[in-house]
Amino acid sequence: MSKILAQPAAAAPRARALAWHRVNRVQERLLGYALIIPIALLILLLIAYPFFNAIWLSLTEKMVGYPAHFVGLRNYVALWESARFRIVAWNSVVYTVGSIGAKVVIGLAMAAALQKAARGNQLLRGFLLLPWVIPTVVIALTWRWLLDLYRGLVNVGLHDLGIIGSGIHWLGNPDLAMLSVIMANVWRGFPFFGVSFLAAMQTVPQDLYDAASVDGASAWQQFWRISLPSIKGVVAIVTLLSTIWTLNDFNIVYIMTRGGPGAATHIFATYSYELGIQSQRWGMAMAASMYSLPVIALLIVFVVRYLHREESAS
Amino acid sequence: MRQAPRRILTMTLVLALVWALPPARAADLKLTLWRLKTYIPPADKILDTTAQDCAKKIGAEVQIQTYTFDDMWTKYTAAIESKTLPDVAELDSVGPARLANLGRLSDVSDLVGTVTKELGELAPNAEGAVKFGGRFYAVPHYAIPLILFYRKDLLEKVGAQPPDTWEGINEISAKIKKAGLQDFPQGFPWNRTGDGYDPAMSLLWSYGAAWVDKSGKYIGLPKDKAVQAIKVVTPAYLTDKTSAFDFLSWSGSGNNEAFMAGKIAFTPNGPSILFQEDSTKHPLRKDTAIKMMPRGPAGRNLALTFVMNWAVPVDGKQQKEARALVACIMSKDKFTAYMTGSFQQAVPLFKNLLNSDYWNNADGKVIIETVKLGRPVGWPGPTTPAAAEVISSNVLTDMMTRVIVDKVTPEKAVEEADKRIKEIYDRLPPK
Repeated sequence: MSKILAQPAAAAPRARALAWHRVNRVQERLLGYALIIPIALLILLLIAYPFFNAIWLSLTEKMVGYPAHFVGLRNYVALWESARFRIVAWNSVVYTVGSIGAKVVIGLAMAAALQKAARGNQLLRGFLLLPWVIPTVVIALTWRWLLDLYRGLVNVGLHDLGIIGSGIHWLGNPDLAMLSVIMANVWRGFPFFGVSFLAAMQTVPQDLYDAASVDGASAWQQFWRISLPSIKGVVAIVTLLSTIWTLNDFNIVYIMTRGGPGAATHIFATYSYELGIQSQRWGMAMAASMYSLPVIALLIVFVVRYLHREESAS
Repeated sequence: MRQAPRRILTMTLVLALVWALPPARAADLKLTLWRLKTYIPPADKILDTTAQDCAKKIGAEVQIQTYTFDDMWTKYTAAIESKTLPDVAELDSVGPARLANLGRLSDVSDLVGTVTKELGELAPNAEGAVKFGGRFYAVPHYAIPLILFYRKDLLEKVGAQPPDTWEGINEISAKIKKAGLQDFPQGFPWNRTGDGYDPAMSLLWSYGAAWVDKSGKYIGLPKDKAVQAIKVVTPAYLTDKTSAFDFLSWSGSGNNEAFMAGKIAFTPNGPSILFQEDSTKHPLRKDTAIKMMPRGPAGRNLALTFVMNWAVPVDGKQQKEARALVACIMSKDKFTAYMTGSFQQAVPLFKNLLNSDYWNNADGKVIIETVKLGRPVGWPGPTTPAAAEVISSNVLTDMMTRVIVDKVTPEKAVEEADKRIKEIYDRLPPK
């Protein structure tokens, strides 16, 4: 009898505890949602909405001030059939590949050089970060001045050293103009690569380098066989991020050359600006800027899969 | 105990609402005015002071925002889409056509009538940019003519007279280069600024290569004439080497800087170079001369691209006050003060002031004559949205650079340009 009477009395606290846990979990979940709602709203309003709106506009014949009419893929087809746009697409590839390639090489060299703890290294690291912190507009204007045909420091310096007889057309020759904007882009962006690679290199155990030294490995061999493989993941991520930024770059080209001479340095962003603001053709402008999207998406997928593979392998 | 936090919250909400409510007082009348930031700061100051004085007269406050030639359409595009155009908008030569076509500008025919009474008749070549369907949708403010700047000292050294034709400019540039006086004397940029597309229009029109008829309907770019025009100017880059490729990448002030640095002998520009040289007592001022842009076989058909106009967008809530403000700014005394403080940059488009003594000097006569002979964008038709887009899409300057940079034949470049122009006119037929 006492056992039967005892069971309900013992079960009540347990049931209360279970109920309390259930309520607590629900409250925690609600709190979690409440905490992420502000940021989710921000992402929705400032990123998701403009992004999907841009995709929608790219499928319309939207001119400024007029309502948008759906035309499907007509803008994309018209762009692809335009010789000028094909030049723009090619320029964007050259600009991006050229800039990223140079930044990777310079970034690795910078990281390798700074990796050794040495006096003044902290000061040097700070100094090398300067291009990254200076506003892009200032960088573009400065490079424009440096490469001016008549008064640019580069031409004046080369002339005074007797290396050239007359000014080089840095911003006028189509090939040199592309090289010039790439140089400005590389100068701005290499610190990001260098600092990221350096941080990654500093997590590599010193024992590996010591062992390699004992085995007679040269500095280059240590770099190639220890440092580089150890930081592959960081190289992949940094390269991916910079590729996205460079494909969408606007300031440097617009300020230095306005996409000229002719269309020699026109890239997606500057061409999209010309279409959208000067010609008031928003639908076409959005389509022009969307052309880089599949490339970026593929790159992201590729890099993410590569990183997963590496993580699984390790 | 539970009631206390609720009471505190309620009181806080009520206090916040009360604080946020506007106080009970007479509403201040505020007007917004957007204007071009010119290369003549003293003139800008006069205009701002005038606008403020005029606003006080009508019992309002005016907030002035500025834009440059480069960022004008960035600003206006955002405002058009968000329906936040200012109360008073200073628009360029294609602005009234674009916005009137959208139904975003008020009819200001009565305002033009008021201004006409004080300043005289409107110049006929100024109507095309502001009058549509028999009604005025903007009040012409002033024109900045593009004139040919040249170094008279260098011409004297090579024994040349100031050129009156495009071929003449080529010949003298070649002489200057041959004499070792300058490496690249011919500063015609054919770039994506007004210094590019204004002379491009003047060039084509002077060879009879207009692409519309008098009604503004597309008739096609006369290929032979356009090719002939291109073949006259592109050798400066390709064979004569009297122009540097870098000129193609100049910004709006690139040619100004190069001329004042003594690097080029010829360049098209507004009168602002004269102001810059005068105000800095520049050593080249005595050697700087101006003349009208060259003529071609079809005559001298000069483009009047830089015309600024006052418009009253329908977005504004204070239409009556906005119109009063424009009427005051364009009153005789106020406009005369602006004109005479502009270092000959602001050329009036109303008859009485065109004949003013202010222009009665060697430079002034050239400037006035240029405006009198100027043709509006879209000539020989009116300024239409399609004509506006031909300019803003850089079709004409791209035609030049296709030959110069991409080395296509002039025939192919003209064919491509014609195709683009046709596509624009098909998409935006004149009403």
